[in-house]
Amino acid sequence: MSHPEFSDTQPQPHAPAADIDVMLLLEGTYPYVSGGVSSWVHQIINGFPHLRFHLVFLGSREQDYGKARYQLPANVVGLTHHYLFSESVLPAAREQRGDSQTAALVERLHTLLRDGKDRHSRAEVLRASLQAMQHQLDLHYFLHSHQAWAYLTEQYQLRCTDPSFVDYFWTVRTMHTPIWTLATLARSLPAARVYHTVSTGYAGYLGAVLAQLHDRPLILSEHGIYTKERRIDLFSASWISDNTPILERTAGEAGYFRQLWIRLFESLGRMCYDAADPVIALYETNRLRQIADGADPLTTCCIANGINVPPFAATRALRPVQPPPVMCLIGRVVPIKDVKTFIRAVRVASNRIPGLQGWIAGPEDEHPDYARECRELASSLQLGDTLKFLGFQKLTELMPKIGLVVLSSISEALPLVILEGYAAGVPAVTTDVGSCRQLIYGLGPEDEALGASGAVVGIADAQALGEACAELLGDTARWQAASRAGIARVERYYTQPIMFDHYRAVYDDALQRSAARAAGLRDAVGAVATWLRGELPIDPEPSAAAPAEQGSD
Amino acid sequence: MAGIGFELRKLLRAESYLGLLRAYTYASIISSGPWVFSIVGLIAVGVLSLGVVTPDTLITQFQVTVTYLIMASLILTGGLQLGFTRWVADRLFEKRHADIAPAYLGVMLVTTAVSGSLGWAAALLGFHGVSNLYRVLIVVGLTLLANLWITTVFLSGLKQYRAIVGLYALGYGMSVLLSYLARPWGLQGLLLGFLGGQFTMWVLMLWLVLRNFPLSRPINLNCFGRRQMYVALLAGGTLYNLGVWADKLTFWFTAGTSNPVIGPLRASTIYDLPVFLAYLCVLPGMGIFLVKFETDFVEWYDKFYTAVREGGALQDIARYHDGMQAVVREGLYQILKVQALTLLAVYTFVPQLFAWIGISSLYIPLFLVQAVAASFQVMLLAVLNVFYYLDRRRDVVLLTATLTVLNFALSLLSIHLGPEFFGYGFAVTLLVTLMLGMLLLQRLFRKLEYETFMLQ
Repeated sequence: MSHPEFSDTQPQPHAPAADIDVMLLLEGTYPYVSGGVSSWVHQIINGFPHLRFHLVFLGSREQDYGKARYQLPANVVGLTHHYLFSESVLPAAREQRGDSQTAALVERLHTLLRDGKDRHSRAEVLRASLQAMQHQLDLHYFLHSHQAWAYLTEQYQLRCTDPSFVDYFWTVRTMHTPIWTLATLARSLPAARVYHTVSTGYAGYLGAVLAQLHDRPLILSEHGIYTKERRIDLFSASWISDNTPILERTAGEAGYFRQLWIRLFESLGRMCYDAADPVIALYETNRLRQIADGADPLTTCCIANGINVPPFAATRALRPVQPPPVMCLIGRVVPIKDVKTFIRAVRVASNRIPGLQGWIAGPEDEHPDYARECRELASSLQLGDTLKFLGFQKLTELMPKIGLVVLSSISEALPLVILEGYAAGVPAVTTDVGSCRQLIYGLGPEDEALGASGAVVGIADAQALGEACAELLGDTARWQAASRAGIARVERYYTQPIMFDHYRAVYDDALQRSAARAAGLRDAVGAVATWLRGELPIDPEPSAAAPAEQGSD
Repeated sequence: MAGIGFELRKLLRAESYLGLLRAYTYASIISSGPWVFSIVGLIAVGVLSLGVVTPDTLITQFQVTVTYLIMASLILTGGLQLGFTRWVADRLFEKRHADIAPAYLGVMLVTTAVSGSLGWAAALLGFHGVSNLYRVLIVVGLTLLANLWITTVFLSGLKQYRAIVGLYALGYGMSVLLSYLARPWGLQGLLLGFLGGQFTMWVLMLWLVLRNFPLSRPINLNCFGRRQMYVALLAGGTLYNLGVWADKLTFWFTAGTSNPVIGPLRASTIYDLPVFLAYLCVLPGMGIFLVKFETDFVEWYDKFYTAVREGGALQDIARYHDGMQAVVREGLYQILKVQALTLLAVYTFVPQLFAWIGISSLYIPLFLVQAVAASFQVMLLAVLNVFYYLDRRRDVVLLTATLTVLNFALSLLSIHLGPEFFGYGFAVTLLVTLMLGMLLLQRLFRKLEYETFMLQ
């Protein structure tokens, strides 16, 4: 999996800072996992050829990833791999006593984390733990000391509502270990001018650590809401055991270990929100959600995804006048995409329109068990040739052959495939998640006036999804109206040039602030975000690094 | 475990003193059978040959030869006994039953090769003025006994206690009978008869093993590969046997306390008889050992590790921990109490007893000291057993090394101090080792959960 161009992972700690403009922190995405976020990252790197990027890939375990899915652009100057749950980085088991001072510190940090609602106490936790982790509170202390054992058993007795101690023990161990290994990683990474994380979670924590260690700006671009997505993962995760007897469980309440994980991600998320400026969401709903999760409203803003329209626009001519009776789900075959609902919807739609086909274009290797279940469902619905699993597809070749882009996801952010479909003249039918409603019916009077570029149905409603698809594919006039609305919408709001303009402002601002901080100057909070929100700067006297000027060029 | 534990439980549940007595008697016989039979067997062969095998020194030569064979084979195989038993237990845990028979035969092969070559070297180089038949017999005896110990431990690892006791009764019965029949041929006749009985016993045990683990693959030596057997267990087993025999060896090879018997073999007239008789006094203690440490303790131990592995609450884990600890404490107390009672009774009746058997009363003080020492040895065995179960191999090596070093040193010291101190070397050694063992055990129990979780 190593790339020939890069001496794999081992960073050169003394590389001059000028070498790296932006360090991208990527958790479980680019360049090893394909998907919306990965395409977006690829696009951003390609879009700023004059900036030198260093990628930090955080994975679960080495064996979970295959070859890189993307040819890394020339302006990527380094790639560091780090595996969060790899055993190889752990210190050898040796008895350690631990000391009462450290125990008191741990106690204090946890109390601050649990009860400290303000950003100052959180910043204090990060600062104090970073300092302590280098000395007495090292990973060895956490993993092997008598003090850590005493604290752990005490917490188990005090708080754990699940009877299994061994599960508690391993849950706590597994989720805390990356906190140390990432802090160590942060110290070994080459210096960069600006840090940019594309999620909160562990990557966001790493970003917060790096920003704190080097006093450099951290940008956060959140596509989905990491904490929320983890929550969905965790609820359905079978690797987390839940040993509470079934009669003692409350419906809808996560088991204790799930709650622990969720709380961990919430804490990591808040640390990242505190450290990042700007905190960028893809669309308004998510921005509000970030604020609810602890982000300072002042630092938040939205930058929508943009796509490269021309290559898709060129495919419009390739499509026959009659739209092909093909509904196509473009995405990874994973539970969050709820592919099963799509398969059922294909059954519904093909009953209405004979000859209609359902295609699934996306890799199946991320979640092999789920992919197998999907195939089993398809055969149990006797779909036969009506349903095809195509694997990863080149979209410009795929688009002229399909009549609808379908998304049955239970969670989405701002799915690029919808925009790409629009650019190619393909309307979309989606579930009512993320920004989908906004993408299909428009946001604000001007946008809404363009008309509906497809249809939105409820989640997990295979009947409605199938019927909506059949209606569009069966009515050529309606289909063509939707196709035109889609083309108009994408060209007006969701092109790459618009997105690049916004990110250019973000990067320019961050690089300037980085330079200012290197010179010992402070900067105003949330300046570029305020400009991107279209509001007036709050600070009447723009400081040296005020972004308003950069924004205008 | 199922076999013996279940039967003991049934007997214990009778809830009457008679039932209790029966349970412990049963346990005593089960646990001490093999060595009681061997001591009694050897004495019986001697008594039956009196007057027929002449001169009497030939009988002594026979008994000393067999004692040396037993000692040498025990020290030689002590490590392998433990190492291989553990290896088998690990394979059973992995449910790889088919691996066991080929490995068992491989171990037999290696044991035979090693003890055979060492035996030949010793017989050819060390023994002068003995017949070639005698040389052949001691080589055969050494390999046969070595294989027998491995097989015995293997079977007791499978908790086949009853079969073992039965086979030892049969084997030593045969040995006595055959020696009796062969006594006209003197020393060689007695040895041949003895080995005939042992051979019968070994063949039957082999049959029992292969009945439990049918041979489905060719014999192999995989268990001798790298990282297969624990070095600490090999060391611990060897050191334990060496340590237990160290005082005897010291007395045998100190000029003032021993006489030459045959070839290089020497015996200590003053030391040996009281020592072997003293071992007969720990029968009751061994019974407790079996009930408490191989049955009760194992039950708590299983609960403890099941709770650890399969998600028990910390409170339950702590409860099972307490259970284990309580059994260890009770068990050691009970051994102490029952041995104290036994020794008091022995103390009271020993003059009459010795007079009746016809042993000089000069032996009495040494016999009593040795009986106390042997009682400590049972307790040490119990402590070591706990360490084996909890897989604290380093502690085992430390204890057995202490045992060996102290026993050599203090036995030598006791010889220097004079006859009234004979036996105290062994007794003090065991007392000190036992104290150290209990100290380590206490430390271990104090942080058992910590070590189980944090240092795995």
